[in-house]
Amino acid sequence: MKLSVDLKGAETKPAAVSRPDVIAIRKTCDAEGTGLSHYVLMDKQVKR
Amino acid sequence: MTATSQAALRGGPGRGSPSPFQPFDIGHATHIAVVEPETAFWGVVRKDRLTETLAGGELLDTYFAKAEAFRREMDLLRFHLKPSAVYFNPTERCNLNCSYCYIPESMRRNGQHMDKATVLDALDRLHTYFRGHMPEERLPQVIFHGAEPLLTREAIFAGIEAYGDRFRFGVQTNATLLDDAAVAFLTARGVGIGLSLDGPVADISDRTRRRWNGGGVFDHVVRAIDRLDGYPGYNVICTMTTQNLPHLSEMVDFLHDRRVPACMLNVTRCTLPGARDGRGDDGAVAAAYIAALEQTHRLYRETGRKLVVANFANILIAILAPTARRLMCDISPCGGGRSFFALAPNGDLFPCSEFIGLPAFNGGNLFRQPVQEILESPPFRLVSGRKVEDVAGCDSCVIRHFCGSPCPAEAHEMNGGMEQKGAFCHFYEEQVRYALRLIADGRHEDFLWDGWDEGTEIACAIGAL
Repeated sequence: MKLSVDLKGAETKPAAVSRPDVIAIRKTCDAEGTGLSHYVLMDKQVKR
Repeated sequence: MTATSQAALRGGPGRGSPSPFQPFDIGHATHIAVVEPETAFWGVVRKDRLTETLAGGELLDTYFAKAEAFRREMDLLRFHLKPSAVYFNPTERCNLNCSYCYIPESMRRNGQHMDKATVLDALDRLHTYFRGHMPEERLPQVIFHGAEPLLTREAIFAGIEAYGDRFRFGVQTNATLLDDAAVAFLTARGVGIGLSLDGPVADISDRTRRRWNGGGVFDHVVRAIDRLDGYPGYNVICTMTTQNLPHLSEMVDFLHDRRVPACMLNVTRCTLPGARDGRGDDGAVAAAYIAALEQTHRLYRETGRKLVVANFANILIAILAPTARRLMCDISPCGGGRSFFALAPNGDLFPCSEFIGLPAFNGGNLFRQPVQEILESPPFRLVSGRKVEDVAGCDSCVIRHFCGSPCPAEAHEMNGGMEQKGAFCHFYEEQVRYALRLIADGRHEDFLWDGWDEGTEIACAIGAL
């Protein structure tokens, strides 16, 4: 199927401000993942 | 240059290897990624500073200071989790005949139901199993799934009522039976609700999601969305096929306009042959998907309200905080048979719902065997033992722990074995590139739900503004 979108159209927009030379982020926690792609498991508890 | 950085450039003390980082072109104007695959530690670096950065400095120093901790963290995530969720299929039957379903047609037409007593018995056995290893303060999760779980509404509602203080419940439904009373019951108890919809108008959505007589269900789903307006615990899954790819950004507009808090834009799982025809080419899927993600960002900027695409958010989290990921399809081994498993209506257990139509992956029966014994069965071991290091092409891939080479069911059934890739290698690669471009541009938080990192600690924050 021919699509009207391509990856050029999906380029990210450069930030207006200059970005750092080096970016590296790592956060850590206990692993509790249980989701699979058949169901959205996002938040840890539905807030009522 | 610090001593450790110099050592890294030379190959590190006693290692005899060059810099631990491998470059990964992310298609960004000014920045490139560097990744140490084993620990999933990465940096995004200005291209014109790449040589200098890899020669020494904060990135290398952080790596050498924390590599062992990162390695242990990945080992724990990949090999030492215990199940804390079950995808509970109370029926094999469905009132729909969607083109890509992973449940065989014969089951969906004529399969069996659980009655109320069986649902309660199963929940009791599951509770006993989970309490054996989970801490008191953490509730195991039960997601009623299918086929269509609301065909057994009386039984599963009885289970939710009886075990509401012992499990966190969710329901994934096609919405055709989700009437006012069902919505009132589920929302009053904080049950997560997932709906399925494949397009912004009936003509598109009903091409893939339809009744046995061919009739569409778009209007039912829209009414359910309207009923759930304001409830934070619901979401919509859209399966991307050749039928809706050109309309994916319109789909995002539609969901955002109706204040849907989260969705998934899923590739078609190609486990069963019937799903493969309409799956779409990798490149076309990636293009439409990324364009739709960009549209969610425009909508957020215009309105201040996010429509989180949860499967993409999970890829971002896999990069930013590997152990905070919620979805376990994009890590190897996947979550099937080790962080969750699936229960069929007759009590048979499978590593994941994706395997329910494949008898060879039946690991045993909840009503006749201990769960722990089933987890150790050969069918479960085949899935929970599949790791990227054993998959040709993934074993040397820089982003192997951001992607995980999904899905084992697909690899086994479509491509001939667990040591094969799944169906969407290029799609996952483009998804990771895009995620790293967002990080390079400082836009990544806009694609994550607020509070996603609650409970995490910062292990590294170089250049994080």
